[in-house]
Amino acid sequence: MAISFSRRSFARMIAAAGVAAAVTLPLSVSAQSVADITKKGELVVGMLVDFPPYGILNTSNEPDGYDADVARLLAKDLGVKLKLVPVAGPNRIPFLLTNKVDMLIASLATTPERAKQVDFSEAYAGASIVLYAPKDKAIKAPADLKGVSVAVTRASTQDLAVTAIAPEGTQIRRFDDDATATQALLSGQVDAIGASTLVVAQIAKIGGKDKYETKFLLRQQYHGIALRPGQTELLARVNKFVADNKANGELNKLHQKWLGVDLPNLKQP
Amino acid sequence: MIREFGINEVWFIVAAVRWTLLLSIIAFIGGIAGGLVIALARTSEIKSLRVAAMAFIQVFQGTPLLMQLFLVFFGAPLLGWDLNPWVAAAIALMLNASAFLGEIWRGCIQAIPRGQWEAAEALGLHYKSRMRFVVLPQAFKIALPPTVGFLVQLIKGTSLAAIIGFVELTRAGQIINNATFEPFMVFGLVAAIYFVLCWPLSLLAARMERRYAAALAR
Repeated sequence: MAISFSRRSFARMIAAAGVAAAVTLPLSVSAQSVADITKKGELVVGMLVDFPPYGILNTSNEPDGYDADVARLLAKDLGVKLKLVPVAGPNRIPFLLTNKVDMLIASLATTPERAKQVDFSEAYAGASIVLYAPKDKAIKAPADLKGVSVAVTRASTQDLAVTAIAPEGTQIRRFDDDATATQALLSGQVDAIGASTLVVAQIAKIGGKDKYETKFLLRQQYHGIALRPGQTELLARVNKFVADNKANGELNKLHQKWLGVDLPNLKQP
Repeated sequence: MIREFGINEVWFIVAAVRWTLLLSIIAFIGGIAGGLVIALARTSEIKSLRVAAMAFIQVFQGTPLLMQLFLVFFGAPLLGWDLNPWVAAAIALMLNASAFLGEIWRGCIQAIPRGQWEAAEALGLHYKSRMRFVVLPQAFKIALPPTVGFLVQLIKGTSLAAIIGFVELTRAGQIINNATFEPFMVFGLVAAIYFVLCWPLSLLAARMERRYAAALAR
């Protein structure tokens, strides 16, 4: 797997290069309006399938999860069929920008860099990213990370958050996905992991609640539905959908179903 | 939300083998056809053909397959064509395999003693007959081990097609790993399946080599 990893580490560069190219070259993007989607009769949504419980493949191997249910609700709202396309971290934005999907409901956290390439809707979910390490490691603040090895999923918001606050001398190890980063922590190859509270709950279940603890909060992030830039009418419609379903409790019902807790307060600062 | 690694999960991984197989077959066929063209161009007497083949080989050997897949699939819409994933994967894999196989076969063709070429010319054989009846059959025997080695690598290289959306064997393993958090079971199974796919190829090649050696023995 070593060779495979070093080839895959190009994916991040390539994704960035690809998106940079996509933005600078004249795009043959089809700006969509709500009418275009209704006429097409189908909403094509890209989502992750390796990020439980937001995006999973269920036991019948169909995309499912919180993101999938939100997509189904949106398709019902627009009165069209839904087509779910599994995408992955490195290729989700390229899929959107090359018209292969109409929008992304792929747990895409809103960051200023991403907002330059895509338009985000109002937040429909949120997550807390924390630093998690064995109890016997004394890490109280970012400065304590000097000389500590931290596992993150590469090019994720955990990666961005840890890279931003880590002092010189922190060894950041970037893995393909949450499961491999978790494995690195469990087998002791790294000292700590940056991960969402959901992954942390999973690690506690596997590794033993008493062995690890949350050290500090890295980032509070909000997931938005991503659309191609310049589609003001469609964006307004999606925002209305999110606002309406937050107000009438539908999103909360879905959140309870998949995450077991109420939809958190998603007011972005 | 994490589930147990059970028979459903095993089946999902095994079922993904069909995409790996299909992609590999497409890459083989395209690569063998293209590779022959490149090898012949590379060894031709026309200088411009040699240079063109050289440039092609340098580009496709010198850049990662992952990047080639990505650029073909996501770059085509920027040029106005909407490629479906199969066509994009076929094009990228074929171009990549052609470059590597072309170079391998160029070496094998050039390993045939010059005397054979000259004798064929002296007998009045045209280029096509020369290649078909004298040079290529001899080059074939030399080419078997490196070609099979490359084709086995290609089967594993199809895992990169996950970047354009194929849920083939490796990607299926990653998805199940993230759903069950059982990396050793999952990747152990994936490795075993790759072995089962690659080993028959090596066995077949060994058999072909033995038969060829017997045919050429005096």
